[in-house]
Amino acid sequence: MSDARRLTPTTYLSLAVRNLLRNPRRTGITLATMIFGIATLTLLSALNDGWLEQMRDNFILSFTGHVQIHTSGFESSQNLNDHIKDPSEIILLVQDSPEIQGWTQRIRTSGLVSLGGSSTGVQIMATDPEQETWVTHMHRGLKQGRWLNPGSSHDLLLGITVAQNIGAEIGDRIVLMAQRPDGEMVSEIFFLRGILETGAPQIDRTLALIPLNAAQDWLEMGESVTDIVIRANSHDDTARLQQRFNQAFASDGYEILAWQNLDPMVRQWLEFSDAYGLIIILVVVALVLTEILNTMLIALHERQKELGIMIAIGTRKSQIFFMLLLEAVMLILLGGALGYGAGGLLVLHLSETGIDLSYFANAFKFFYMDPVILPLLTLDSATRILGTTLVAALLAGLYPAWRATKTDISQSLRTF
Amino acid sequence: MIQPDNSSAIITIKKLHKCYWVGSMPFPALNGVNLSIDKGEFAVLAGRSGSGKSTLLNVIGALESVDKGEVIVNGANILGMNHTERTLFRLHNIGFVFQSFNLIRVLSARENIAYVCQLQGMEKKESEAIADHWLNEVDIGHLGYRRPDQLSGGQQQRVAVARALASNPKIVLADEPTANLDTLTGQKLMCLLQQLNDKFGTTFLISSHDPDVKNAASRLIKLADGQVVRKWEKIPPAPPPISKACPIKNLPIAQRIRQFLRKKRKRSSQRDNKGSTPRRS
Repeated sequence: MSDARRLTPTTYLSLAVRNLLRNPRRTGITLATMIFGIATLTLLSALNDGWLEQMRDNFILSFTGHVQIHTSGFESSQNLNDHIKDPSEIILLVQDSPEIQGWTQRIRTSGLVSLGGSSTGVQIMATDPEQETWVTHMHRGLKQGRWLNPGSSHDLLLGITVAQNIGAEIGDRIVLMAQRPDGEMVSEIFFLRGILETGAPQIDRTLALIPLNAAQDWLEMGESVTDIVIRANSHDDTARLQQRFNQAFASDGYEILAWQNLDPMVRQWLEFSDAYGLIIILVVVALVLTEILNTMLIALHERQKELGIMIAIGTRKSQIFFMLLLEAVMLILLGGALGYGAGGLLVLHLSETGIDLSYFANAFKFFYMDPVILPLLTLDSATRILGTTLVAALLAGLYPAWRATKTDISQSLRTF
Repeated sequence: MIQPDNSSAIITIKKLHKCYWVGSMPFPALNGVNLSIDKGEFAVLAGRSGSGKSTLLNVIGALESVDKGEVIVNGANILGMNHTERTLFRLHNIGFVFQSFNLIRVLSARENIAYVCQLQGMEKKESEAIADHWLNEVDIGHLGYRRPDQLSGGQQQRVAVARALASNPKIVLADEPTANLDTLTGQKLMCLLQQLNDKFGTTFLISSHDPDVKNAASRLIKLADGQVVRKWEKIPPAPPPISKACPIKNLPIAQRIRQFLRKKRKRSSQRDNKGSTPRRS
């Protein structure tokens, strides 16, 4: 008895296409469900990526930059004694790095701001007014007044909430009080030149911004600074820069912190959003797969007799298995391609117009999110969606195909 | 697998027993069938509904297992084969004609026939040439591109006959092939089957109630209560008692456990009923 050869691929394809078309309405409904599901999946994924990207951008560009260099322990102590005495050596290496878009030096300390009888605690931040615009978008948040003038040593900008709390207006004489590195409390008069609304409430309610040279004179710190803040060309360069600066400076008593290390809460929130997005994706995938499984099982039930006949006249179980699997794969490929295409077009359109969620603007601000979300379909997400859908759908096709091989010939021929 | 066989018998059946279980209820289908069919015979299995005709055909066609007995078809002991061996055995040795035609709905008449040849390993063109040949043999060469639902019952059955013969089988098993056809179409089909039997020498074993089919037979085999009725027996032999025909050891294990639990529940409910009967003082 000679072993039967395999059926030709054209026979398999022809059978699969015709079987899918034998009930066009059912195949159409299944395809429509798949297209809707995968398009939704693509849009949700792009929305998730879009707002995660916005959060990351806003967080980095509102204050922290991608990487910061401090004297070891400064981030936790916030003590001016932990300052970088000679930043020029570090700056030389920073300037030579091709992945860097901008850098600035800062002095950060806590202090008190007073106007008349009102006073409130603030985070005093002194920066190079020109360099700062290369690193953050703080200057874009000017609500009133103007940005710091490099030549004016008594310019002051306040966060909008700080200004409201002490009732300050542009041009007011405001007293700043802080502690020098030697421990002596000192105060200085500044003139309010601008009010900032960065979009991040935690910054707006604590920020007092002054020029770096003014702070160095006032606090008698010479050329010293507390932070060297670096903006990379892209987020992907962060880890590489951190590693390079670690190798160069860690042994000299400096700490090199990436943005994720500077605010663990934001990092956790990003991770949570990532996980949440993944859960949504899994739910949509599960729904689509249930639909495929359901359709295939109904089709299998309807064709029980035909499968019995095919086995009776000599079709092997492996051939039946492959036939059924091919039907599922074709359905998935078609539905996947159309769904992904529809989702992609929707994302393309919305990435230009944006999705306006201004109604939730206050809630979004806290998480560094813009009220208008621009969906973003990254290559990573696209691969993940297609890969997950294909693999999972293949799994959904396996069960009906396996069930088909268990067809009881005599039973299926008798029942119908 | 196939042993050289010099005898003229192509089918040899000895002491064949087959019992169906519906739940724990036994239904004996074959009660010790002994039968021998020669090569090239045009034999008809006759008998009432439930006499075991279809079961016997299914067993000979390697579609169904049995409880006890021996079935040698074309020199091969089909009861000793695994699933794949049975499939290949059917593909190369048996042609089937079913009562309700059973063509593959999505394939045309020509493709239905060519499909079997492709399963046998033939190239597509060769398969199609064979399909065309057999379509002409059954007089529907002009209908090859029609799908089953575009053909009449008689035409569909002709396609089924062509499909059964296209694989060049040793035996064609036909289960009530005329049952879904009108009288004239049924008669024409039987003529066709007889012609094919004469021309190609293929063995035909047909089950039927139809008198026209019985009249066409070169040998009529009567079945009653799962047993072959011999020519000289005017009254069919009495069937064996059910406990002997379907011994409980053949009941599937899951059914046996269920039956055991059911009996236990029944006994305990009877005990409870007795206990709760009020006594007269």
